[in-house]
Amino acid sequence: MFSRVIAHSARALKPAEALRICISPSTRLFHASQQCPVPVPRLPETGGKVRYGIIPEEFFQYLYPITGVTGPYVLGLGLMTMLLSKEYYIINSETMSAIGTLGFIVYGVKKYGHKVADFVDATNDKIIADFTEAKESRITHLQNHIDAEKEEQWRVDGKKFIFSAKKNNVAMILESNIRERQLMVFNEVKRRLDYHVELEKLKRRLEQEHLIKWVESNVVKTITPQQEKESISMCIMQLKSLAQRSRATV
Amino acid sequence: MMMSLFNTFESPYFLGFPLMIFIAILISLTMFIPDNNLLIKNQSSMLASTFLKTMTKEIFSPIKKSGHSWALLLMTTLMFIFLNNITGLLPYTFTVTSQLSLNMAMAIPLWLGTIIMGATSQPSHSLAHLLPEGTPMTLAPFLIVIESISIIIRPLALGVRLTANITAGHLLIHLVSLALINLTKSLPLLFLTFSVFILLLILELAVSFIQAYVFVMLVSLYLEENLI
Repeated sequence: MFSRVIAHSARALKPAEALRICISPSTRLFHASQQCPVPVPRLPETGGKVRYGIIPEEFFQYLYPITGVTGPYVLGLGLMTMLLSKEYYIINSETMSAIGTLGFIVYGVKKYGHKVADFVDATNDKIIADFTEAKESRITHLQNHIDAEKEEQWRVDGKKFIFSAKKNNVAMILESNIRERQLMVFNEVKRRLDYHVELEKLKRRLEQEHLIKWVESNVVKTITPQQEKESISMCIMQLKSLAQRSRATV
Repeated sequence: MMMSLFNTFESPYFLGFPLMIFIAILISLTMFIPDNNLLIKNQSSMLASTFLKTMTKEIFSPIKKSGHSWALLLMTTLMFIFLNNITGLLPYTFTVTSQLSLNMAMAIPLWLGTIIMGATSQPSHSLAHLLPEGTPMTLAPFLIVIESISIIIRPLALGVRLTANITAGHLLIHLVSLALINLTKSLPLLFLTFSVFILLLILELAVSFIQAYVFVMLVSLYLEENLI
């Protein structure tokens, strides 16, 4: 215990001076890690259960199989009665002082105990929050750096593809140019061939029309008036028969 | 029955062996001092640790950095005096800080330490404190004598202040408890006296802390005078 006290005061001095103070070989001044190789057990969250503030619960549990629930209370009452009646404990001014002091302490703890506990818990939580916040901000900062670094690496990788991309571009432009010109040539040739085709069609049509006209004019010339009359009277007779037939069906 | 009011202030002996040392050590070193340096402690240790940190900052912020190595000594003294004063308020306990022997044993070495430190490292500077700035030269001899006497009186004042305050407070509590035990016949007077007792108790709680704080603060002031 005292070696730790001395070590504390030694730590307050500069390291060079502290090393000059050789207190005992077992005192280690600069701890880099936990001192014991065994894993340290967790401390309990809450203290042991007590009844009425000072008497541990284990006392009541110990007496329960022997005396039941009222056992410890009867024991306490009997003890107090014995002390008072046999005058082992005498009521004097200190008793009144005790009643006042202990009553005040009990009142104080009951009224303000929670607030003090909450304050202490808030202090603890603040320490944890500060360290967690420092840790989280450091992690975020480093993560941002990592992401930036990865992006830079991706950018550098892109450099490999730039030349082939440029080559592809140029090839595409050349290809499109060639196709354009081929189309142009094709269209021109087609236009010329279409002209010749149209010309042939026109000749044919003109020849056909001329031939028809010549045939018609020759046929009209060969028709005599006698033939004309005969054909007209034939037509009138056919019409009359047709009219009769149609009248009959109606 | 109490034979006299000052029975409780007798230094306890058991078969000729003085018990004061044991009481002084056991009470203050087993109560409410955080015995670990964990970051997050249980509630009791955390409370004591927060209290100690606040007190250290309060007392040592006006002191130069070279005086901060006295922090452990003075804060230990503070906790020692405070806890011993507090335990003296409980019934049937003996307050070690009501003994002049203990208080002088704390005050004289602390004061003498500061004096020796100042005298050996910077004698002219510490002697310069004997004559405040801007005093007319005619008053100088008287003032130096008065200042020297005041320096010599300091440990006595430290010890006696603590003893007197604690003794007086505890004596008052004994007197009021005597009144309480004798006034059980009439209820209104009993209630009145009981309220006086409670108020006195609150005052004594405050005085316990204040006296410890004043003791340590005065030593820190004497230290500040004599620092490099």
